[in-house]
Amino acid sequence: MNGEATAPSPTRPPAASRFVAFSPSRVWTLATATVTQLVRMKILVFLLVFAAVVVAAGFVFPVMNPEQQLKLLKDVSFGALQIFAIVIAIVSTALLLPRDLEDRTLYTILSKPVPRVEYLIGKLLGVLLLIGGGLFVMDAVLSAVLWMRQNMVLDAAIHSLEHENKATPENIAAQTAAVAKQGLTWALHAGVLAIFLKAAVVSALALLISCFASTTLFTIVTTFCLAIVGHGQQMLREYFFHGFSAVGEKAASSALAIICPDLGVFDIVENIIKGAQPSGADLLHMTFMALLYVVGYVAVAHLVFVEKEL
Amino acid sequence: MKRKLQALSLLVIVGLVSRPADEAVTLSLRTSGMLSRPVDLGLREGLGQMGFAASLGGLRSLVASITYLQAFTAFENIDWAKVDSLFQLTTRLQPGYATYWVEGSWHMAYNAASGYLFDDKLRPAIRRQLARDHVQRGIEILDEGLKFLPDDPQLWVTLGAIYERRGLDPLHDRWVELDPKKAGECYLRGHKNGALQVYERLGAYQLVKAGDPASLRTALEVLRRNYGMGYRTPGLIHYLKLAEEQLDIPSAQRIPDADPTPGGAR
Repeated sequence: MNGEATAPSPTRPPAASRFVAFSPSRVWTLATATVTQLVRMKILVFLLVFAAVVVAAGFVFPVMNPEQQLKLLKDVSFGALQIFAIVIAIVSTALLLPRDLEDRTLYTILSKPVPRVEYLIGKLLGVLLLIGGGLFVMDAVLSAVLWMRQNMVLDAAIHSLEHENKATPENIAAQTAAVAKQGLTWALHAGVLAIFLKAAVVSALALLISCFASTTLFTIVTTFCLAIVGHGQQMLREYFFHGFSAVGEKAASSALAIICPDLGVFDIVENIIKGAQPSGADLLHMTFMALLYVVGYVAVAHLVFVEKEL
Repeated sequence: MKRKLQALSLLVIVGLVSRPADEAVTLSLRTSGMLSRPVDLGLREGLGQMGFAASLGGLRSLVASITYLQAFTAFENIDWAKVDSLFQLTTRLQPGYATYWVEGSWHMAYNAASGYLFDDKLRPAIRRQLARDHVQRGIEILDEGLKFLPDDPQLWVTLGAIYERRGLDPLHDRWVELDPKKAGECYLRGHKNGALQVYERLGAYQLVKAGDPASLRTALEVLRRNYGMGYRTPGLIHYLKLAEEQLDIPSAQRIPDADPTPGGAR
């Protein structure tokens, strides 16, 4: 009787064979744990600084023309968004592996049946969740301030037209169109998406470097340098490699592309601020490039990390 | 070691695959107007290393706003040379943003030119020369801007306004109309590209002032069309009658001597 009760059921597989090679739920657990870890590092204090910057930029330059006031608000806010995204992407990713080694959390995780690739993807996903959440909150703050400022600026402009006896329907319509072009549009959220995609690529690059780097400082400095070169890749191609022979130009461009990603592809924010509207195809192209880099760098990072002696 | 070689090979493959993809996406985004050309290397001196690095790092718009604010401060300090050089930097950072070209030319053709013209510390001949030079500088800024934005209505009407208002009478220190024909053409081009209806009428007024037969015929056509659309302002009726008179239009084809509708002279 007892023997029957304790004997394993023939339909139930033993625990070892239930192990799946890749488990999204394990990755998700690691990602949420990473978010908690980063939040405890008080990284999100930047959000408060951002809110203060946006409010200040929205109300500190009242002497300029309405269009320029709104452009300046967007310039400052998107500048802060980009700095937040890139700095957090580099610093938080660079900190993750050394911190886990220091806390010995890494050994606890990897002693369980967790493949190293899941650990890497979980960590990267955690950083991306944090950056995505932060950008979402900042986008909401920016949208609210911009909408408020847009209405105030438009009221002031119409009042000014009335004061000058020029408030014809034609003039009011032109003023409204000019302010609306610089005001809150859906394209601004596409700009935030572009910043997120760029940050994802930089995070993946930082993760790759941190897999073979001996110190956190090395990872941070190297990734910053590569990010700067990555932003200037188009300029290097057009101004420096242009004089080379066709083969030389191709070889130099390829060498540069191997060393660092072309981050200039994601710089659509500048034109969005001016009022340009990206199409769905534009966003798809950028997403494809981001995926290409992220998948590529994570795969390389895995090959380095899987052999790393911990 | 084997894994490290695999990693290196994969990194090379990622780079080789991404390069043509990057170039194709860059071209596509530039064609759709979402991506600007890289920053000109010549800007490095004007921006300094930090500003140049920031403008490379996706913060070009922010750097342009900062140089714009510096230009505004220079304007408050009445330092026209600095205003000009800072607007040059600003417009070169964001050549696709019309407002910077318009404001740069406005500072030169209106503020700087008038500032020099009424500067008692300068000799009259130098004052007039400097004023004329700065009006010309304003025109040059807009001409440069039109190379980047040939269809921008704001640039065309601003250029039209300078040609209309910023000429200097060499005998007296007062502004006279500089080139009504060019002014008229610029206003009409601005209207054609989307500027307000009033600029079509302003263009026609300038062409009537120009007085040559071709300009008068264009002006007559524009003014008659506007008249037909219900715009019967005192300005329109005055210039329409003038054009009819100068072109010897038969009386039967002329507009009647009716009262203009109230509501402004334009």
